[in-house]
Amino acid sequence: MGSRGCVRFRGIYVLPIRGKKCLIIDPKLGGSLSSIIQTSLLKEHGVELRHLSAEPIQSDCTKVVFLVRSKIDLMKFICSNVHNDISKGLQREYHVYFVPRRAVVCEKVLEDEKVHQLMTIGEYPLYVVPLDEDVLSFELDLAYKESQVDGDTSSLWHIAKAIHKLEFSFGVIPNVRAKGKASVRVADILNHMQAEEPVNSPDMVVPEINTLILLDREVDMVTPMCSQLTYEGLIDEFLHINNGSVELDASIMGVQQEGKKIKVPLNSSDKLFKEIRDLNFEVVVQILRQKATSMKQDYTEMTTTTQTVSELKDFVKKLNSLPEITRHINLAQHLSTFTSKPSFLGQLDMEHTIVEAQSYDICYEYIEEMIHKQEPLVNVLRLLILFSVTNSGLPKKHFDYLRRELLHSYGFEHMATLNNLEKAGLLKKQETKSNWLTIKRALQLVVDDTDTANPNDIAYVFSGYAPLSIRLIQHAVRSGWRPIEEILKLLPGPHSETKRGRFSSSPSFDTLQGASANIDRAADGRRSLVLVVFIGGVTFAEISALRFLTAQEGMAYDMIIGTTKIVSGHNLAETFVEKLG
Amino acid sequence: MANVSVAAEWQLLGDRYYRKPDLYHPLRWKHIDLSRNKVACAPFGGPIALIRDDSKIVQLYAESALRKLRIFNSAGVPLSETIWKNPGGRLIGLSWTDDQTLVCIVQDGTVYRYTSHAELLEPNFSILGQEYLDENVVECVFWGNGVVCVTDACKVFSIADFKSKNPRPLRLADPAPEGIEELPHCVAVIEPQYTMSGNVEVLLAIGDGVVMVEEDEVQPLPLPPGDGPLQKMVVSGDGRFVASFTHDGRMAVYSTRLEKIFEYECESALPPEQLAWCGLDSVLLYWDDMLLMVGPSDEPVRYLYDEPIVLIPECDGVRILSNSSIEFLQLVPNSTVSIFKIGSTSPAALLYDALDHFDRRSAKADENLRLIRSSLSEAVEACVDAAGHEFDVSRQRTLLRAASYGQAFCSNFHRDRIQEMCKTLRVLNAVRSPEIGIPLSIQQYKLLTPSVLIGRLINAHQHLLALRISDYLGMNQEVVIMHWACSKITASLAIPDATLLEILLDKLKLCKGISYAAVAAHADKNGRRKLAAMLVEHEPRSSKQVPLLLSIGEEDTALIKATESGDTDLVYLVLFHILQKRQPLEFFGMIQARTLARDLFINYARCYKHEFLKDFFLSTGQLQEVAFLLWKESWELGKNPMASKGSPLHGPRIKLTEKAQSLFAETKEHTFESKAAEEHAKLLRIQHELEVTTKQAIFVDSSISDTIRTCIVLGNHRAAMKVKTEFKVSEKRWYWLKIFALATIRDWEALEKFSKEKRPPIGYRPFVEACIEADEKGESLKYIPKLTDPRERAESYARIGMAKEAADAASQAKDGELLGRLKLTFAQNAAASSIFDTLRDRLGVS
Repeated sequence: MGSRGCVRFRGIYVLPIRGKKCLIIDPKLGGSLSSIIQTSLLKEHGVELRHLSAEPIQSDCTKVVFLVRSKIDLMKFICSNVHNDISKGLQREYHVYFVPRRAVVCEKVLEDEKVHQLMTIGEYPLYVVPLDEDVLSFELDLAYKESQVDGDTSSLWHIAKAIHKLEFSFGVIPNVRAKGKASVRVADILNHMQAEEPVNSPDMVVPEINTLILLDREVDMVTPMCSQLTYEGLIDEFLHINNGSVELDASIMGVQQEGKKIKVPLNSSDKLFKEIRDLNFEVVVQILRQKATSMKQDYTEMTTTTQTVSELKDFVKKLNSLPEITRHINLAQHLSTFTSKPSFLGQLDMEHTIVEAQSYDICYEYIEEMIHKQEPLVNVLRLLILFSVTNSGLPKKHFDYLRRELLHSYGFEHMATLNNLEKAGLLKKQETKSNWLTIKRALQLVVDDTDTANPNDIAYVFSGYAPLSIRLIQHAVRSGWRPIEEILKLLPGPHSETKRGRFSSSPSFDTLQGASANIDRAADGRRSLVLVVFIGGVTFAEISALRFLTAQEGMAYDMIIGTTKIVSGHNLAETFVEKLG
Repeated sequence: MANVSVAAEWQLLGDRYYRKPDLYHPLRWKHIDLSRNKVACAPFGGPIALIRDDSKIVQLYAESALRKLRIFNSAGVPLSETIWKNPGGRLIGLSWTDDQTLVCIVQDGTVYRYTSHAELLEPNFSILGQEYLDENVVECVFWGNGVVCVTDACKVFSIADFKSKNPRPLRLADPAPEGIEELPHCVAVIEPQYTMSGNVEVLLAIGDGVVMVEEDEVQPLPLPPGDGPLQKMVVSGDGRFVASFTHDGRMAVYSTRLEKIFEYECESALPPEQLAWCGLDSVLLYWDDMLLMVGPSDEPVRYLYDEPIVLIPECDGVRILSNSSIEFLQLVPNSTVSIFKIGSTSPAALLYDALDHFDRRSAKADENLRLIRSSLSEAVEACVDAAGHEFDVSRQRTLLRAASYGQAFCSNFHRDRIQEMCKTLRVLNAVRSPEIGIPLSIQQYKLLTPSVLIGRLINAHQHLLALRISDYLGMNQEVVIMHWACSKITASLAIPDATLLEILLDKLKLCKGISYAAVAAHADKNGRRKLAAMLVEHEPRSSKQVPLLLSIGEEDTALIKATESGDTDLVYLVLFHILQKRQPLEFFGMIQARTLARDLFINYARCYKHEFLKDFFLSTGQLQEVAFLLWKESWELGKNPMASKGSPLHGPRIKLTEKAQSLFAETKEHTFESKAAEEHAKLLRIQHELEVTTKQAIFVDSSISDTIRTCIVLGNHRAAMKVKTEFKVSEKRWYWLKIFALATIRDWEALEKFSKEKRPPIGYRPFVEACIEADEKGESLKYIPKLTDPRERAESYARIGMAKEAADAASQAKDGELLGRLKLTFAQNAAASSIFDTLRDRLGVS
């Protein structure tokens, strides 16, 4: 979408402060910025790059530039840096750039701390970071916790702003479907923004983005708590993908350098990765094996028989893909050391049992045992959340018992963690009967005979469980919310369906059926786009499922995915863990 | 020929024709004698200001002895007047600035500024510096937005920009050496935009020479011998030439560095009353009843006037104001010459002629057209251009008709050109009408730009015309409507709020995206707070609406609007505003019921205002939240390195936790938390004791389970047991903890003993797991046979690589799926794999 270039251009824009300077960045921004500005480029401009932390930074630059997200708690660090300089009698020029915009509350803190008048304040309007050809991230990793637990809905404004900015380039999106409290609110703010600062789209042009689907993570907390089984998903679960790459011991990748870490980039510019990232891991292993075998075969043929020049050329072309094949074989091998562990298999089994929701006691005892065995807290929380969400809470006795055991096993500081989870509704006392079974059945979330090699349904990404979130999107794209209205009512939060711009008055623009695809097709014959925005994060497995849907025959749209952050059950659960003490 | 009459009005100066059409005749004013008044005329057809000249002795007719400042438009229509009774002595200088503010400078240096509505703009200020207040201004020279004054002590002061909020007078270098106070004969300025330094340069004719004065520099400029002293000087419109009148009756033109370019000997040695540039081509000199126009050639043009006149230089000519009329003296444009010059056979003239024939149905029209076929587009262009320069509407029309007639036969002429010209002329004719009285030439209009013209119209309160013009030209109407609305509010003190609101809304809605907040702010400034509140209600942009609501004291509404907008930044803005203005309790009350505002406040306070947050929770009765805060504080105490190791800080930690517990206990819903806090306090005490007795600082802040494990690892089984009973740890957990603890220290003997104590409540699986994880195959074999579930047994055997035993167990379980899975585990081992196959066959499962 060309957005990468445009952000890179803005990257330089921070630098007009002349001369040698020390650029102190918010570590959380480091990742998204590194995918935009190269560090080498910064060095060329005489920039010393540091990360912001509680520790004051030692530098002899007279100009200090802070580049931070507009978060209250980061102001502490800025203040401590400045106070430290003052106490040492150092005089520097300070610049603070807020991403994506200045915030009254941050400046208030700087004022309270009496450093505001020393600062030159600017903005760095980075609302969206493109992660891949079809994935945009708003880089709001705490969005879910902030809005669910702290009631801070700043992220919703940010998301609406980002979408509104997109609309300035792509025209007003005529159809908006939202499910969940936050989503409906974003749709609301977006309309508000359109009224305040209208995007003027020329009348006769079909807007490039036809539909916006907004979905709260809150609506489907089941999916992220399940272990992802796609190739990319598994890599994330075990190795944690960070800004499109993983960091691994060099030895894993077959490089013999003791203790050295290397970064393996993972994005669609790697052809092989693009081909296999969305497949079920089982299948990936087979494909890699086939590729290796056929390569070996070609090689033997090459050494025995005489070849024509064109055959040689083909062979050499294949050889070019050898490093990629080796890279992924190494990775896959490393992954299988995790996937073959009994504990992982047991956990998978348990996830499925919980999702099936047929054997309450087995699940309950399994989790109890995990706590007793003091297995890693986040693993326990994942299952516990899954369990509570599918049962719409736990009976009071069990709720209190498990909480107590948890505090006893992991420490009383997790009182705050439990409180967070309860506020977010992820671990709570059962008050109503669960309707998970109804939802599961109505949306066919559990698909028994899933052929992971030749999938005909999105359920392949979890080997038999079709992610609820993607099922909803599948319905939204195919026929709108109306046919599944009853089911939507069973899920958390309200839902809405609105027409905007000049389409708001046309009466029969109701469903987005395949048949009407011709009308929706953009002028140059490309398929028009659906922008799916996940508020609270999306997992790689879900992205894979969406790509699978896009690739299906009869699909009228291409999809672009927007998300507050790419998440896994692990880091989602982790955001709720309070670190006291 | 029809054309003759037009050219008959022209005068030839050298080889160029000049004309001076009447712009307005007669003027609308009555009984005005310019000679009795000081006059200031704004360029670009701007207003005329008159005030009785107090340096002349004049006879008063039927009028008051009070002097009046009167302002007219260029057609002599009175716009406004006010009584002039400003102190400070004689009025020395009077002029209009670029944005049409009338600047009046009196003898003592005070500067009075008026709008074109004769309203005094406060504050007045002095152009003289503090220490020169006793000097008198004797001469003022104005340019665009600035002025230069000379005092009787021959000091030079300047104001560079009247537009700025606080015009700052600046003293320039002294033109004459200290002590010599010879006054200059005349003064001229070169505008900053034409100087190298970007600052004004002042030319003063002192003695026989000329000096150039800048901010901190004086430079004498050599004058050709015999020229000085100069009697009058004036700088050309482009800042490149100086026209002057020498002591001996010569008119000389110099470059700005005083190199002589041209000279003309006049008949009179008496300096002219007025000296002005007409465009860049000629210089006008005015004596009593004669106006002399001198051009580059020898023969000047003479005009006679039997009434006083005022020369008003414009960029493309000079307007000549007299008591009864206003004329525009200009060079006849080339296109006009080519059409109307006597005997002209230019294509344009023939085209114009052809139209005449066509109108008279004469076949000669066609003949003419054929003659000029090859240069038709050039002819059309000339007609269009000439039409633009015409002030006479019917002649404009004829010329445009000729153009459009020619264009019909001309394929390669840019069609929009005629349309555009029509548009421009409509606008010009509209503003030239006497009621509006802005006689702009097309060249002036282009230089001025339409948006400035609209600005002038709205300043003159001609909103309707301004609106129509901006609509007609496709410009944004916001500025017009906005100005109208503000003027309306100012002028409508008597109209009740609701009525006025309706009047305003009716017009404001014409313009999408107009800032209601700005209009509201104006209403508020005019003391109409209620109207402001009603207006701001209509502002769609919350970012503009909210701050205004705050400034008019509508804090509640501001909070609601900010919340609605979803922009948390605005909510914070409101919060901090209220926080600053109100008492804490009042503030708490305001936000308590507003979820978003409350949560945002809590987030802010949580980071930086802990105590204040506690006050908030206490005052709103959220005791459990206070409890959480206290509990958190106790952890923060724990972070203090002095807190552990039996230090006295330990006491306060426990106290805080206990306080939290009692607060939790206040509400029924928080019994769980209360219990947990109680246990936590108890745990801290026990851990503290343990650290004292074991002299190892490893207990505090670990969990109950970890404490038990640590005790067992240290071999202190009694302590472990004590913790267990103290916290009623279940048998199940106890077993897990003890098994793992024993496995950690590899005390296999103790483990076995433990397994035999009684039948373990969780079976033998934990024992097996602990052993396998510790890689003690032999130890695990002690427990595997004791597993009751054959499936578990099978898997355990499989994990330690005993295929045969695993297969046996699995077959006992009669579980085909399990067999298959186990077979996979043993995939590398052919022998083992075959065992599974046989077993599967035997079981008859696929």
